[in-house]
Amino acid sequence: MNKNISKQTRQPGTNSWKAIIKGSYVFILLFLVIVILSVVKMDTGSIFSRGHFLNWDGSIVNLLRNSVPIITISGGFTLLIMSGYIDLSVGSTLSLSAVIYAIMLLNGFGFFPALILTLIFGAVLGFINGLLVVRLRITPVIATLITLSLYKGVARLLVAPGVRAIESGEGKIMPDWINNYGRKELFNLDLPAAFFVAIAVIIILVILQRKTVLGKYSVAIGGNRLAAELSGINVNKIVWMLYIIVGVLCALAAIARASYMSLGDPAAGEGMELDVIIAVLLGGTVFAGGEGSVTKSVAGALIIMCITSGLMTVLPPYWQLLLKGAVLVLAVTLNSLLVKEKAVV
Amino acid sequence: MQNGINGNVGINNRTLTGGKISNESFITLCMLGVLIVLFGLACLFVPNFYYLQNIINLITNSWFIIVLGIGVTFLLVTGNFDMSVGGIIAMSGVISVYFSQTAGTSRSVLDNGLGLPYGVAIALALIAALIIGAINAFFVTKLKVASIIVTLGTMSVARGIAQVLTTGSQRNVNMPDVFGVFGNITVISSIKLAVFIMVALVIAAIIVEKNTIFGRRTYLIGANSQAARLSGVKVERHVTILYLVSSLLAGLVGILLASEYISGNSNRGMGLEFDALVLVLLGGTSIAGGFGSVSGSVIGALILSVVTSSATGLLLRPEWQYLLKGAIVFIAIMAQRFALDRRKI
Repeated sequence: MNKNISKQTRQPGTNSWKAIIKGSYVFILLFLVIVILSVVKMDTGSIFSRGHFLNWDGSIVNLLRNSVPIITISGGFTLLIMSGYIDLSVGSTLSLSAVIYAIMLLNGFGFFPALILTLIFGAVLGFINGLLVVRLRITPVIATLITLSLYKGVARLLVAPGVRAIESGEGKIMPDWINNYGRKELFNLDLPAAFFVAIAVIIILVILQRKTVLGKYSVAIGGNRLAAELSGINVNKIVWMLYIIVGVLCALAAIARASYMSLGDPAAGEGMELDVIIAVLLGGTVFAGGEGSVTKSVAGALIIMCITSGLMTVLPPYWQLLLKGAVLVLAVTLNSLLVKEKAVV
Repeated sequence: MQNGINGNVGINNRTLTGGKISNESFITLCMLGVLIVLFGLACLFVPNFYYLQNIINLITNSWFIIVLGIGVTFLLVTGNFDMSVGGIIAMSGVISVYFSQTAGTSRSVLDNGLGLPYGVAIALALIAALIIGAINAFFVTKLKVASIIVTLGTMSVARGIAQVLTTGSQRNVNMPDVFGVFGNITVISSIKLAVFIMVALVIAAIIVEKNTIFGRRTYLIGANSQAARLSGVKVERHVTILYLVSSLLAGLVGILLASEYISGNSNRGMGLEFDALVLVLLGGTSIAGGFGSVSGSVIGALILSVVTSSATGLLLRPEWQYLLKGAIVFIAIMAQRFALDRRKI
């Protein structure tokens, strides 16, 4: 909506090319990244030999499987950023939910009860974030840094001293179906149920963003909070709801991660906030709020996953952090060059 | 929003009512009271806490966090975050080691450096820190990107450089003899030189904050950057200087710590950016800008030190630190707001 308006106000003919690039640069970028990583065989440096990237059995399935958590979270995160708020605690929320889910499984819960209780737990964590930001009026960055620290502490304290994660042992054994959700192939596609759930989540969020008042309201709040409030939008309720949505999505991602690794790792989500921020930045969402797109964020998520997993075949693991930081700085530059200009119009 | 208003009142109070102490001093005194109460409680419950040596340790062990806090305080007063300090500590430490290790003496990659004199290595490490600060400043002042995003990115870049140079571990052999001197020199009865550097820097910072035009402009920018710009303050240049100073201080801390431990470790300073933010918030600085003080941050650092070391003294698991830090920031923010609101009436 917002995009159409800004296109109309611009003089016709002068920048149609620019508009096209701005509108779809993230998809072009994703295409370029995939092509480059497929044609160039990284470890030997040879071009046009059969790269090991574009082959369905190995790397693509792996890539899609690994990107389930970030795809799940990035959509909801986009809505939150669009309304001008931020949640830095997503990684800790994921870790804590994964630990809780694993503890429930160890103590004999079935899949669906554990799933539903973990989602409710994620909603509670999101609710607490919303409480700090909306009711107690603490700056979003500080509030979610506080909860980042709190959730991380609780997640680590729930794991017994000297043990790395919640896993089978000492009389209690993880049920043998723990892997089914995160690993077992569905529809002969090699992809697990978690992947299709993530896709379903994205479709729901795209509909939420484009067809419901929630999407319109979050754009309005991000564009001008006071104006939104004065025009009768219950800003507090919407923002609180968005925080809860992000919490639930983190819990969903946590279940996928715990099921994939068949344990509850209190460090499962470490650094996740950085990945999600990169994805949303690449997707062209304005960080001050007021503009963004869920689909583009998913494309951004796939770009960061392609780059890290593609280059990890060549570079040793200790390059990863530098790579991520560099991609983030590049994404910030790209975002402000391509997006900020539009905001001025 | 609430705090922004209080910040303005702080300035008004000082100019209009001469006899009354400013809101900043009021908060600092409150936090001093909290420090004394906490210290008293710790003495009651933690064995041997009241020993003179322990009290000295509380102060001397937090020298690096106080030095970081100076830069972060000034930036937070202008309304900007600096989350890159922890990464810079690792990077400058590793660089100072890598450049001064002797070249070509051993087969192992980690044993070989560039063989530069120690002075040159230090200078280059500080320049590297300044480059990170310049990147922060460029993105924040020129591209107008949210400071939290940029500095999270440069944090990864800086720590990433440290990890690449050390292959994810540490460098600790083949350094010149002078390397370990700087960080281990004691001046008076086993108190390290670094502690005196910290005291000197704190005094200098308080003078700059209270008695110079530069300090007053910092508050003006934080209270209302638009008004500051219109009244002739070069806001961009000012914030740039603050980012450079903050990264320079972090670089200095990194070099001193590398010298103290005689090693360059890529994991050093992990999470220190959060600790620095914690103590600055404990000291009463508000993210809404225009409010805060270096002396408050020093008290905040001592509170943090008392809390964390009494947790260790009570034999709590180290994971409790995350919970404690999150909780005390939350309590501090709420209590300070309550105190200031009451004071206005």
